[in-house]
Amino acid sequence: MQSKLEKVVAGLKTGPRFLKELREFDNLVKAIGECKSKAEEDRIITQELELLKQRLSDPKLDRSRGKEYMIRLIYCEMLGHDASFAYVKALQFASDPNIHTKKAAYLALTQFLDHNNQLVLLLVNTLLSDLKSDNYLIVCTALVAATKLIGADLVNAVYPVVVGRLRHPKEHVRKKAVLALHWFGQLDPRREGPLAGVELDKHFRTMLCDKDPSVMSAALCALHECIRSDPRPYKNLIPSFTSILKQVAEHRLPKSYDYHRFPAPFIQIKLLKILALLGSGDRAASENMAAVLLQALRRANSSHTIGSAIIYECVRTITTIYPNPQLLAAAAESISPFLLSPSHNLRYTGITALAGITALNPAAAAEHQVAVLDCLEDPDDTLKLKTLELLYKMTRASNIQVITDKMMGYLATCSDEHIRRDIVRKVSDLAERYAPSPAWFVSTLSEVFRLGGEHVDEGAAHRLVRLIAEQDAGLHGSAVEAYLGLLEAQGGEGAGAPSAAPKKKLPETILLVICWVLGEYGHLARRPPAAVLSRLLSILSSHKAATERVRGCLLTALTKLAAHTGGAAGPVGAALLQPHGSAGGGGGGPMGREAAELVHQCLNSQNLELQQRAHELTTLLSLPPPLLSSALPVDAACEEFSAAELAEVATLPFLDPLVTRALAAGAAPYLPPEARGAKTGEAQAKGLRFEAYEPAPYAVPLASSSTSYSAGVNDARLHLGSTSASTSTLAAAASSHTAAAATPAAGNQLQPQLVLKSGGPRKWGPAQYESEPPSQHTAGHSAGSSAAAAHGTAAAGAGPASSSAAGTTTQSGGGRHSRSGSGSAVVTAQNAERERLAASLFGTAGGTAAAAATRPSPAHRPQQQSQPSNGSANASQQQQQRGTAAAPSAMDLLMDLDVPQQQQQLTAAVGPASGSGR
Amino acid sequence: MIRFILLQNRAGRTRLSKYYVPIEEKERRKLEYEIHRLVVNRDPKHTNFLEFRSYKIVYRRYAGLFFSMCIDASDNELTCLEAIHLFVEILDHYFSNVCELDLVFNFHKVYLILDEFICGGELQETAKKVILERLAELDKIDT
Repeated sequence: MQSKLEKVVAGLKTGPRFLKELREFDNLVKAIGECKSKAEEDRIITQELELLKQRLSDPKLDRSRGKEYMIRLIYCEMLGHDASFAYVKALQFASDPNIHTKKAAYLALTQFLDHNNQLVLLLVNTLLSDLKSDNYLIVCTALVAATKLIGADLVNAVYPVVVGRLRHPKEHVRKKAVLALHWFGQLDPRREGPLAGVELDKHFRTMLCDKDPSVMSAALCALHECIRSDPRPYKNLIPSFTSILKQVAEHRLPKSYDYHRFPAPFIQIKLLKILALLGSGDRAASENMAAVLLQALRRANSSHTIGSAIIYECVRTITTIYPNPQLLAAAAESISPFLLSPSHNLRYTGITALAGITALNPAAAAEHQVAVLDCLEDPDDTLKLKTLELLYKMTRASNIQVITDKMMGYLATCSDEHIRRDIVRKVSDLAERYAPSPAWFVSTLSEVFRLGGEHVDEGAAHRLVRLIAEQDAGLHGSAVEAYLGLLEAQGGEGAGAPSAAPKKKLPETILLVICWVLGEYGHLARRPPAAVLSRLLSILSSHKAATERVRGCLLTALTKLAAHTGGAAGPVGAALLQPHGSAGGGGGGPMGREAAELVHQCLNSQNLELQQRAHELTTLLSLPPPLLSSALPVDAACEEFSAAELAEVATLPFLDPLVTRALAAGAAPYLPPEARGAKTGEAQAKGLRFEAYEPAPYAVPLASSSTSYSAGVNDARLHLGSTSASTSTLAAAASSHTAAAATPAAGNQLQPQLVLKSGGPRKWGPAQYESEPPSQHTAGHSAGSSAAAAHGTAAAGAGPASSSAAGTTTQSGGGRHSRSGSGSAVVTAQNAERERLAASLFGTAGGTAAAAATRPSPAHRPQQQSQPSNGSANASQQQQQRGTAAAPSAMDLLMDLDVPQQQQQLTAAVGPASGSGR
Repeated sequence: MIRFILLQNRAGRTRLSKYYVPIEEKERRKLEYEIHRLVVNRDPKHTNFLEFRSYKIVYRRYAGLFFSMCIDASDNELTCLEAIHLFVEILDHYFSNVCELDLVFNFHKVYLILDEFICGGELQETAKKVILERLAELDKIDT
């Protein structure tokens, strides 16, 4: 470093190439370069800024040194100091007749300001005169500044001049004018604002035919942007684009556009992007470009990165346009070198391209399974993440468990916000689509909540709750146990290791779900209700900052738990209703005191919601037992109303006597809102009204309806209605209480929000994803895999990509069948984990062994090294391993949940490796 | 579209920054700091791509200098990687065997070259010869 510095200093002394006039600037840079600390640097820059401020405000300012001052300012600002005092000076220098000063001033302005800055307004006049200048260098500088500084409100002032520059004799000017117009187009992409009615794209089309390649390529950028917002008007340009691409690929452009001997690769890639947009979903257009695409793909080779870039773009285009079997086959073939490459960059793009192909041809990924597994185990996070995305795209019912497991393993270690959110979204999406059984779904989603609950959207929580509600008592019990376990692991209060490793707090969403489940089904727990109560209360002690929402749900859960376990006389009820202050008296000991404390606190809470729920609790528990049990029936979350019942409720028959009484007393009849709206709308249409308003027509009915809230038993029912409604939806908006109250008050069995389903055995997940009922999955793995094969064939049959794809799919399907048929026997302990993983991901084993043998360098496969691979291990051996060694892994996969026995068999194909992520 | 270009040295000092989308001054400092931290610790064997917020960073290291470009998630990463290299080739030609100090003392020239290479977030000129000729032309009037 030091020697280099000396070299440059010596160079400067003997005859500087560029910096004759910049002596002071050089000294500044040198001083900064010699700084030992940030503080020293700051001091120098502050001094410099003071000096500049002084010089620039001096009336006898030496204008010939304007360039140097500008450059020094930029330098100071680049080091993070504020030079805003000089912005106005820079504006003045921009109109300086000296071209150097002018250029430096424009550079400073483009660095300092952007198009949102008000100061730009002061520049417009200068900019306009510069755009009209005879000196083309000045025009170029002004155009570059325009692409940065002109905003939507100033476009109209500059636009006509810039359009005029499109016919400038110098290609540099034309090129920059096109790019400036491109920028203007981005300011108003829909052509509705300042550019309404302007024929921007006509100019771009003209410039596409410019004789200079660089102007043409600038027009390509601009058209790309236009086509991205709406491809339809540009379909007639397809022949032009294809012929340009053909010529470029055939090396017809000047040699100077070559880059590492590839003909104008950047232009080719731009064209490919445009073609992808134009061909997407358009069969005729796609057929027109097929030949050229194939040519471009064939002419490129991966000898240099830029060649790979062209291939990659070709593949992306081929997978975006209307699928063409021949092109797809060529694309699949051309990406295999990417996946086998030692370069991470190429593998990354290879995986991306493979994901595109897999979307059209699900069998494509199976060929590259070894490469995919390598990428999955790579220490490079970017690559790993991309591979997870690929797995997401190739998920089927047969491999869902391994894939979600991999994703969750990553989720547990990842800390980036955006990535976590993305993974959480993917896992919950996959779980909903392909869940093999309800128990698996519940356990997976709960795990997702635990790991990344802050990113789960409420919708997923609702679906989870609904799913749990729809299952039988066995699952209810296991869910209760699972959540109790979760709370236990969470709390660890007093007894275990108290705060040795402070556990991560459970996110709010899962707490709400836990509250609901324990409230609704807590009585099914294998331990006494008092224990459940204490677990629920432990939420408060372990989450000191529990939100009001959680507290509200907790209260409701306690109410329900008490109601299901003997009402006020039961252990929970007694604990809850303990009179406040009677510490330690009989009831429930310290735990009971805590419960009573909570109820008492909430009774006096400032939060209306909490207060109401607490009052509901005390009121409900003081009801006579038969009334209580009909008010809060056991396991009624899934009660459905028939359409007739609902219709009857909707007419609110129980209000009839009240209404007739009110009408008899002279109230105006009810007017539906539409009628009211029409009336006021009419009045408004006339403009100002001068006569007095008539008295409000519905004042009396309002009063009469409010009387319905006062009746004795009715009151309790109303409260109860609001309780169940709000718990079942987990929604806590106080306003919804009164809205929901009217409907359920009619009957006794009231859980309206959960009754969204339309009936039928399978009740979650969009139906189109997986048509089979879950029972078939539990029948055995072979059923699952044959279903997957059927799925694959169906997909391939549907797309026109079929002809080649269908063959491979059915083949691999057959492979799976034979595998599941082969029985027990010898376990050779080599190579097991990867093979099993591959098999469970891709469903075929033979390919793995073959591909492993051809794989060049083992350096990227740490796991392989640690367990030296037996290259000759044949497929049948591996299959046998899989059959026998799998059973113990089931529990790993299922987290710590108790699940029915059948579930464990279902996961038999998954190796113990799959659990290692956690 | 290219959102911004950064040149930073190993110590995290910004040698050049060009933003093609409006970003607040404070946010710029934060971006520069974050990107430097991400880029400087990466294994050279790893990919040159980083998912960054909803964008992608493509970076390349030349001696002690990191060239980073922020592009849209849908852009072609390999192209961007090569665009960086082309830029460096141009710098190398212009400064004949470029080193960090050339860039420090002539950073305004580097901006000039960049303005000839990229404009408004798009590659403007990809012919090395055309750019170099034009720079020679500018230098001629300079003296």
